[in-house]
Formats: sequence, C-alpha cells, structure tokens
Amino acid sequence: MRNSDPHGVSVRLVLPNELRLLDVVHAASEKMAEIAGFDEDAALNVGLAMREAVINAMIHGNGRDPARKVLVTFVARPSRFQAKVVDEGAGFDPAQGMDPTAPPNLLSTSGRGLLLMRAFVDEVRFRRRRSRGMEVTLVKSRAAASTTS
Amino acid sequence: MKASIRSIGKVAVLDLSGKITIGEGDVVLREKVIELLEGGQRNILLNLEKVGYMDSAGIGELVACYKRAKEKAGSVKLLNPSGKVFDLLQLTKLEEIFETFKDEKEALVSF
Repeated sequence: MRNSDPHGVSVRLVLPNELRLLDVVHAASEKMAEIAGFDEDAALNVGLAMREAVINAMIHGNGRDPARKVLVTFVARPSRFQAKVVDEGAGFDPAQGMDPTAPPNLLSTSGRGLLLMRAFVDEVRFRRRRSRGMEVTLVKSRAAASTTS
Repeated sequence: MKASIRSIGKVAVLDLSGKITIGEGDVVLREKVIELLEGGQRNILLNLEKVGYMDSAGIGELVACYKRAKEKAGSVKLLNPSGKVFDLLQLTKLEEIFETFKDEKEALVSF
C-alpha cells in the first residue's frame, strides 16, 4: 500500500489470472470504498462492480490464459473511489453485448456483467491501450450517490 | 457456498447460504440442481434467505437451473431473496421470470 497522497490512499494489486482471486479484489474494493467514506451497502456495490470488471479482464481480456496478469489500482479519496483494471489481452468490445434485460434475452445465461458494473458505480469507462490490453476505469463518488439513489 | 436439501412432500427445498459466485457457489448450485433433476425431482424451491450476494455468473446459473428444470417439465422457484439478491433480481428483471415467495408454506403449495 502506498500512502503518498495526503488526501487519499493508493493500492496496487498484480493478480495472476485466476478466478479464485476474485475474493481478494472484492475485499480490497470494499475496504477502499470504506476508506473513501461509503457505507456498507455502497461498499458491497463497489465490490460487486469490481468483481465483474476483473472477471471480464480474466476471461474476455486475458482469455483465461494463466500466464497473463491483471493489474488493479485503487485510489480512495474522501467521498470518491476510483479503480483501474488492466488486462494483457488483445482487447475486447465492451459494447458488443446484448441488452440482458430485453425480453428475448432474459433467459440468457451470460452477458450481465456490464449491467451490474454500470448499476453499482457511477462511471465505467473502457479504453483500449496502445501497448496491450483493455483498461477499465470505475468511479463512485458520494456526491453522485446522494443525488442518484 | 453451502447447500442442503430438504424434501417436503413433492418439493425439494434447497437451502443455500453464502454467495453464488463464479467458480464456487455457481458450481455448487449447478451440481445440486442437476442431482435433484436426475433423481426425478421436478419441483425445486431455492431458499435464498442466507445468500448474501451473487455475481453475473451466479445469476446466469440461476437462469440455467430454471431452464434445466423447464426442459424436464419441472420448475424452479425462489424463496426469500435477501436484500442484495432481491436488488439483483430486480436489476436484471429476472423477477419477471422467477416465481418468488416470502413464505415457505405458500411457496410449497404453489407447486
């Protein structure tokens, strides 16, 4: 953990591409959200959104390749949680998926990750990196939370 | 996630506790429901009262269980989804698909 920013806390995790490590990400996300001042329910939402971002990175980004890694960086500032999730894959199209809440898709057994991410944090941004992989940024701010929910 | 089965009349109640997430709870749920269906059970009530949350894979597995039961002319219904699980069912609009009950007796007689 680095704490060079007097107004925030930064944490960086380098994860082997193993789904069993999702609980590590979830726990770290909840703790960082708590440090940013979110209540228990909002922190759980952040943890759930981060799970989905890392699932995407491990499965769609890294293609389940055990040799690849996922880099997660968190910054917790008063009233603001931000995280970036970066994979080492060839990139994927986040907009490619169907709307899982449309009636013909309700019985689909996959494709709800992005819906959950967007529901549980205020901002989700995807960026294809020039070097390699996708970078997903998730932001949740208490100001936004108090006006939207 | 932990799962145990109670047989009440013609219904199998699957009591779940923990979280239904990728590679863990979703696998347990899949195995238990397949075991019930292969054993001839057609009426399955998933008790979600002690499930704290699900991820997208867990939600997908709930749908898969629903479809598996339908294929065998059976049904999967839900009992007491907790706060976050209820929120997820609403968000994904799966509350429109699943019959959901707060009272176990009421759920049992619905089959």
